[in-house]
Amino acid sequence: MSEILNANPTIRNASDLPSRRPDSTIPTSSSGASQRYPPLGLFASTIPASAYLPDPFATATPSSPTSSISEEDSAPEPIDAQEIYDLIAPIADPEHPLTLGSLSVVNLPDIFLEPLSPGSPLTVLTVLITPTITHCSLATVIGLGVRVRLEQALPPRFRVDVRIKEGTHSTAEQVNRQLGDKERVAAALENGTLMGVLRKMLQGAEGGETAL
Amino acid sequence: MTDVQRFLLSINSDNQKAHSIAKETAQGIRILTPSAAITLTCEALQNKEKSLIDVVESLGEYINDEDNANRARTIEYLSQVIGSLPPAFLSRQQIQVLCQFLCDRIEDGGSIGGLKKLHAMERYNGEMATMTFRALLAHFQDLQLRSQAQRLQVYDLLNAMMSSHRRALRSLGEEAIVGITDLVANEKDPRNLMVVFSVLKVVMVEWDISAHAETLFDSVFCYFPITFRPQPDDPYGITAHDLKARLRACIAASGRFAPYAFPQLLDKLDSTSPNVKKDVLQTLTACATSYSLTTVSNYSVTLWDSIKFEILNVQEEDLAEEALKVLQAIANRLGQGLQSTDLKTPLATYLRPITKECNEQLQEPQHKQAKPVGQILSAIGIASPVAFYLIIRSVLPPLSTLYQGADSIAKQRALLEVLVQLLDSAIAVYGSPSIPAPKTSIDNPLTPFKDRLFELNSQALMSTAIEEVSFRVVALRALLRLCLLQNYLQENEIGMVVQYLDDIALSEGPVGRDDLRKEAIQALVQISRIKSHLIMNITFPAFLARLPDSSPPNHRDFLITLEGLAQISVDNFVADTLVRRLLNRLDVVLANDGSPAYPQAMLATIHYVLTRRNLEADPNLQTYFEKIVIALVTRVAKAASGQAPVTALNEEATLEILGRLTTLIIRALGTHKQSSVALQCYSLFTEEGSFSPAPFHEHVPGPCRSLMIVSTAVLAGLPATVQLEYAETDGASLESLLAELVRLALAEESLAVRQAILRQIGLLMNKFMSSTEISAATTTLYKLIAGIAETTTPMENAVRAVYWMSKALILRTVQIDEVLSRLLNLLTSSTSGASSARGFGLLLAPDEILSKDNGATIRLLAKQKVFNICTPRIAQGFRATDSATVKANYLIALSGILKYMPTEVIMQEVDKLLPLLLQSIDLEDSDVKAATIQTLTVISLESPAAVETHVGSLVSRLLKASSNLAVNGASVRLNALVCLRGFPGRVKDTTLLPHRNNVIRSLMAVLDDPKRNVRKEAVECRAAWFNMDEPQSD
Repeated sequence: MSEILNANPTIRNASDLPSRRPDSTIPTSSSGASQRYPPLGLFASTIPASAYLPDPFATATPSSPTSSISEEDSAPEPIDAQEIYDLIAPIADPEHPLTLGSLSVVNLPDIFLEPLSPGSPLTVLTVLITPTITHCSLATVIGLGVRVRLEQALPPRFRVDVRIKEGTHSTAEQVNRQLGDKERVAAALENGTLMGVLRKMLQGAEGGETAL
Repeated sequence: MTDVQRFLLSINSDNQKAHSIAKETAQGIRILTPSAAITLTCEALQNKEKSLIDVVESLGEYINDEDNANRARTIEYLSQVIGSLPPAFLSRQQIQVLCQFLCDRIEDGGSIGGLKKLHAMERYNGEMATMTFRALLAHFQDLQLRSQAQRLQVYDLLNAMMSSHRRALRSLGEEAIVGITDLVANEKDPRNLMVVFSVLKVVMVEWDISAHAETLFDSVFCYFPITFRPQPDDPYGITAHDLKARLRACIAASGRFAPYAFPQLLDKLDSTSPNVKKDVLQTLTACATSYSLTTVSNYSVTLWDSIKFEILNVQEEDLAEEALKVLQAIANRLGQGLQSTDLKTPLATYLRPITKECNEQLQEPQHKQAKPVGQILSAIGIASPVAFYLIIRSVLPPLSTLYQGADSIAKQRALLEVLVQLLDSAIAVYGSPSIPAPKTSIDNPLTPFKDRLFELNSQALMSTAIEEVSFRVVALRALLRLCLLQNYLQENEIGMVVQYLDDIALSEGPVGRDDLRKEAIQALVQISRIKSHLIMNITFPAFLARLPDSSPPNHRDFLITLEGLAQISVDNFVADTLVRRLLNRLDVVLANDGSPAYPQAMLATIHYVLTRRNLEADPNLQTYFEKIVIALVTRVAKAASGQAPVTALNEEATLEILGRLTTLIIRALGTHKQSSVALQCYSLFTEEGSFSPAPFHEHVPGPCRSLMIVSTAVLAGLPATVQLEYAETDGASLESLLAELVRLALAEESLAVRQAILRQIGLLMNKFMSSTEISAATTTLYKLIAGIAETTTPMENAVRAVYWMSKALILRTVQIDEVLSRLLNLLTSSTSGASSARGFGLLLAPDEILSKDNGATIRLLAKQKVFNICTPRIAQGFRATDSATVKANYLIALSGILKYMPTEVIMQEVDKLLPLLLQSIDLEDSDVKAATIQTLTVISLESPAAVETHVGSLVSRLLKASSNLAVNGASVRLNALVCLRGFPGRVKDTTLLPHRNNVIRSLMAVLDDPKRNVRKEAVECRAAWFNMDEPQSD
């Protein structure tokens, strides 16, 4: 890997990378608590939610023993494409001190989540990766890195499929076959040197967003 | 017996020969210490009892002794005698004789020391220095074999002669230069090298070294790069940095070294060690700064060619930085005193290949070289106005053309980024209104491009698609710098920029990343520092126009406007105007009905602005007091008692914010004013009889009772010394006021009002009551506690009152043992035990009202005392009881105390606490569980060894706490994962390994947690356990 294949990749600025939008939902006026203590944004630093909270006795009242639990757990947040993106974007490129996100190797629109069958919890996740140049020999390693990260970070009900985006690589088919072959992936992970490279990638790039 | 005999005798008490001398001489002669012998001799010399000849002659027998050691000691004796004489005592001839003698005897130990002492004599002259120097040179091979300390003596002598008789040595010319390099050759000890380098530096800087430049250079460069590492307990205090600095000064000492230094340094730049490279670059900077202009000019282009790779293909950030410093140092050197922009100067010659290369790199601006190119241009541009002029002249026109022809926004952005860097150096060279730069005769080369730059950046900022955040951010930065650059943009142009910034700050809602808006606000803040009138005339009207006159029913856009206003109001005048305008607007808004959120936000804005001012010194303090405290507070009081319409101000939440403002302003008032406020702390500035405050009145309606929130805020802002309303007459009335407040607190149903009253009780007992008054108050407290213990009906409010009163006492450490022991007894109560247990969480919790800022007495030792009193009793009580509920109460109380305890305090008792904490993870209460896990996290981070024996049960409990959604709230699950993640790498691997598979398997399910932040933590926790057996990378 001494020879750098693509010495001059195009880099995306951190503030252009997709990120989760701040929760902009306005609490409805009917829910008493949130109306009494409005989200004050900037002023939250000078004004705590209320001087009269927290009351350590508040939860002791038998009327609402589990209120805090039910409230904070009320809205489940399903795993979405952005979350997948946040998992794989900070992976470091094997030859640059940059993240796959900032090199546009992984892109939010190229992440697809689909239930295996309607209503089934089983989900098929497809991630298309775009090598920086069409003859990048490291595409397999990058794909492997993405795959390993997702397999470690996602619950087993996800079927992970990592492939090269169509038309972006000269030997895409071959790479896809390698990435899709469970036994070959397992064999690759037995390889000490390769595992070392992958571990470095998964630790994230310096200067990237708060790497995992 | 002569003194020299005594000296030898005493120094050599184990030496046979010396003993025999002693026997031969008459008995009864005192055996003296060596220093006493010296003193004796010196006194004799000074009293003229002895002559110097006598002394020297007395040495005769020993000075030719066959034993080296004895000879050395004899010389040592002589040296010490010389050293103890007054500097003017010896005549020139005497010194001459002694010097000659010692030089002849230079092989003998001790003579170097003697020469050093002679050198300190007043009549020591250059001739003797020359003699000494030659003697040293004649024996340099012998001297080099000596021990480190003796070599150091030689160098010290040389150094001393160099500083006092430099001319004499210098006149030796070649002989001295070669001699010195021979003398110091092969030296390896860092202590000695420190002296050697400073001697050599004198030679290099001051002497004519033309014939021996290479010899001299080699004599120091052989030490480069310095890899010395001091021992951990280095007793000499010499660091690698000291050595590097001295060596660097030598290499940079003379331009004659350039032909050797530059090629050899550049050779070493190929090293793989970052430390060596850094050393090379720093040395190059030193050389470029000190060598002559012509010398540096000869090598400037070579240097650029070799160094640029460090910047353009940046491997390590700090190496690139050092390389930039070299380039800058060269530009500085070449531009010194230069006032001509002629293209034939050395500076222009140096810059030509640089700008050429940069222009070439910029052809592909989106590549990663664009950033370093900007850094290079900016670093060199800062060097001098001429350098900046030359760079702009050759870089800006092509940059502008490239920008014009760029086919993608990514390219344009990269080009603008370079422009921003150039503008930064422009500001450094030509100054800004706040930081003026030295005057220069070189016109700002950017002037001809003014319109172009302004237009291009305006377009980029305002006419680009909203999604291109980073591009617009860069354009905004460029525009801001154009505004800040001294004597550049016209007032009306800056005004236009302000308008753009207003538009962005106002119209860009919180869509996606907020970067652009934040930048715009920050830019307005910067402009308000230099042109506050533009902010007043343009930004204020624009922002205020966006504020509605009544509360909008379904959106909170006003928050964005208010936040913007609050942030840009840093200037005093601007801030004052904002407060006045907001107060006027508040009047209008309150007249219209609507949600209280808007008036609350307006008050919050005022609060934000006022907290950032020094109110004590503010000339407008009186106005704020009248317009905010008196006017608004009377208004709510009147409304509450039915004399005015009730508005959003009377909402409890609004009263809280008004209360905070009140505290803030009253705190800043003078003592006189504060005393008069104190007398109205309950009647709240209303006319007598028009408003009935809650204390000492029957059947006060709810709206009036809620004004206790404001009263609490007033009391919080007052100093302890004032007389309060209802307590004017004497101390006893504070007691009756307390009783009245307790009565109110027990009856109050509104949570916020009750909390306000409880805090008032706290303030009374902690701040206002004197130490004599407090004892009566404790009686009240004990009665209440006894009442709770006796009854069988739950007394929730009484428990609250008890804990607030206790908190006040504990913080000022009054009767702390007694209070705590009564509280601990409550834990066993079947009716109030549970709520009492939660009360412990209140005792040490930080509080906004009962705070140091508000003059509360908070003793430093309070926490430690509570810990020392409670933990043993809780542990004991826990063991003693069989009731599961009571056990739980003890654990809840413990968790409440530990939550606010400093880690070091917890660590003292960690072994006793751990078993209790483990059991309290099993409690059902989510809050307690979360707090306990947090404490455990801290413990396991601080002292992994402490948890080692409990790892098994800890891991299984934490895994349980991280799953089971029905019982565990999201914060419990999250905390459990954070705690679990801390183990690998801290706790011994061998202890963890048996649990590894279990953890990894169990966490698989947590990866599917409904909450995103829990999942994220689970991923990281799992990764930490996965990678446990791998070597930790640094």
